[in-house]
Amino acid sequence: MLKKTLACTIALAALMAAGTALADTKDKKIALSNNYAGNSWRQAMLKSWDKVTKKAVADGIVAAADPFTTSQNQVTEQAAQIQNLILQGYNAIVINAASPDALNGVVKQACDAGIVVVSFDGIVTEPCAWRIAVDFKAMGASEVEYLAKKMPDGGNLLEIRGLAGVFVDDEISKGINETAGKYSQFKIVGSVHGDWAQEVAQKAVAGILPSLPEVKAVVTQGGDGYGAAQAFAAAGRPTPLIIMGNRQDELQWWKEQKDKNGYETMSVSIAPGVSTLAFWVAQMILDGKQVPKDLTVPFLRIDQNNLEANLATTEKGGVANVEYSAEDAAKVVAGK
Amino acid sequence: MNALINRLRHQPWIWSFLAAALVWIVTVTWLRGQGAGEILTAALSFATFSIIVGLGQMMVITTGPGNVDLSIPATITLAGVVAMKVMDTDNARLLIGILAALGVSLLAGIFNYALIRLLRMPPIIATLSSSFLILSTAISYGRGIRIKPPPMLDDFATFRLTGIPVATLFVLAVSFVMALVLRRTVYGRSVLAIGQNPRAAWLAGLKVDGVRFATYVLSGFLSGVCGIVLSGFSGGAALDMGEEFLLSSIAVVVIGGTSVAGGKANVPGIWGAALFLFLLVTMLNTFHASAGIRLIMTGLIIIAVIVIAGGDEQR
Repeated sequence: MLKKTLACTIALAALMAAGTALADTKDKKIALSNNYAGNSWRQAMLKSWDKVTKKAVADGIVAAADPFTTSQNQVTEQAAQIQNLILQGYNAIVINAASPDALNGVVKQACDAGIVVVSFDGIVTEPCAWRIAVDFKAMGASEVEYLAKKMPDGGNLLEIRGLAGVFVDDEISKGINETAGKYSQFKIVGSVHGDWAQEVAQKAVAGILPSLPEVKAVVTQGGDGYGAAQAFAAAGRPTPLIIMGNRQDELQWWKEQKDKNGYETMSVSIAPGVSTLAFWVAQMILDGKQVPKDLTVPFLRIDQNNLEANLATTEKGGVANVEYSAEDAAKVVAGK
Repeated sequence: MNALINRLRHQPWIWSFLAAALVWIVTVTWLRGQGAGEILTAALSFATFSIIVGLGQMMVITTGPGNVDLSIPATITLAGVVAMKVMDTDNARLLIGILAALGVSLLAGIFNYALIRLLRMPPIIATLSSSFLILSTAISYGRGIRIKPPPMLDDFATFRLTGIPVATLFVLAVSFVMALVLRRTVYGRSVLAIGQNPRAAWLAGLKVDGVRFATYVLSGFLSGVCGIVLSGFSGGAALDMGEEFLLSSIAVVVIGGTSVAGGKANVPGIWGAALFLFLLVTMLNTFHASAGIRLIMTGLIIIAVIVIAGGDEQR
């Protein structure tokens, strides 16, 4: 009798130990709350999420990882959606937020209900949530640093900004303008809003171009480089150095120019796969690991020598991408 | 001379042209004459797209209060995506691509009116909800893809004849046809009559349902044309290509002197308004105005133009 009980206890203990070692999160449910799906970057983001989380669910790491997208890109709609997710009993909610502060109320509700909230790309400022942010200012600065090295003689710059009033646009533009101020050889002669969309960028650049002197280089925010190139070609102007934003059509255009006349530039943006990093971070927190509230992801930069390699792995119409594994996420959390 | 000025003053479209000319002159003076012609060429190329969809929106708005087509952006996107995917950069498949794209945009128009008539939904709600369905179709069909247009479509959309874009000439022809339709055909007169008083029109024996149906289908069709030409112009279709046309399709109609209450349409005004809107943004960009100031100025100037243009009616 005693022997049997003892055996049972040992077996049970062994089982529990094994359980901890495998994953404490296998019955946890994670939801993605996404505010917008209408461009190639967001489509790639959702695809990455789908690919990585389906495997995680199949491997039994988590019970569910369901993506939800609002149709209108509006704060009220996303707030209602998050409230639904709270009621549906998700253990963690990963958010790409429509606004950095307008969702704070509902995020607080989720935290109070014991739900782990991880925001990425479009982050929330509510202190109880985790933030996976990109140093957008440094991204803008890196563009000008590149130009400073590339064009010691300097020249006129045209800046294409993103969507007016959005935090990301302000940060990148601040990085560009502050750094350009440090190099006296550069002068920003024009600035237009391209809304991160080819058509809008093309239209805005075509409008301002006749009023500008010779433009040496165009600093961008991604999604607008190809449109700028089209506008310069249509106006019959020499093609300036246009910084690209990792979209496949931009890289394709760059490759064509490179093969034709040795065109040189660089391309920088955030990999849409950052959604999968947020997924793993949420999983680690659910697993009881210590994770700092503010994390930074590196941006993805493509240069002259690795253009072909990146273009080959980027699907037609998509965005150059990196998907994160649990190990990658652990490295980012450790600050490496 | 005075008689001419007096007659012009009473044309509702004159104000949008005056506004466009004024903005252009201010911009060119600021630049001391540099790039005057190029700015006009750019304005003509980009105005083309708002004019095409503006014509459709004008017909819909003219059929009476509450009638508006909010599915224009989604239909533009779907038509663009379908055209690019079916054409697959091959000149030989140009025609079948155009037919396919126009086909889906006609379906979008039919679907809109089905919601309005069969389910008795207000047009604002019906076209807004159908636009979600249309855009979702475009997303699942295209998956965010940007395929280049076949060279022939590209050439057509970007070719210029001594500074004037060919696409603009094409839209000029379409506008003439629309103006004729509005003035000289039973359909056009019916649209105006229904817009002024649907019950009177019905009592007079007009086919109110048939005319409204044709109008929504026409708007879908013109959105499709816009989607095809725009994809040729900007080097492919993208999921967000139609977005800016939600507001601009309505703005060009209203600024152009068409009555929001229906029953009064104006084709030339759409041209003036589309040029005006583009030149306005260009002007504020060349002034290096910040985004906030630019939006405030755009709003104020549009209000001013509408007030001045509408002032005539109240007197």
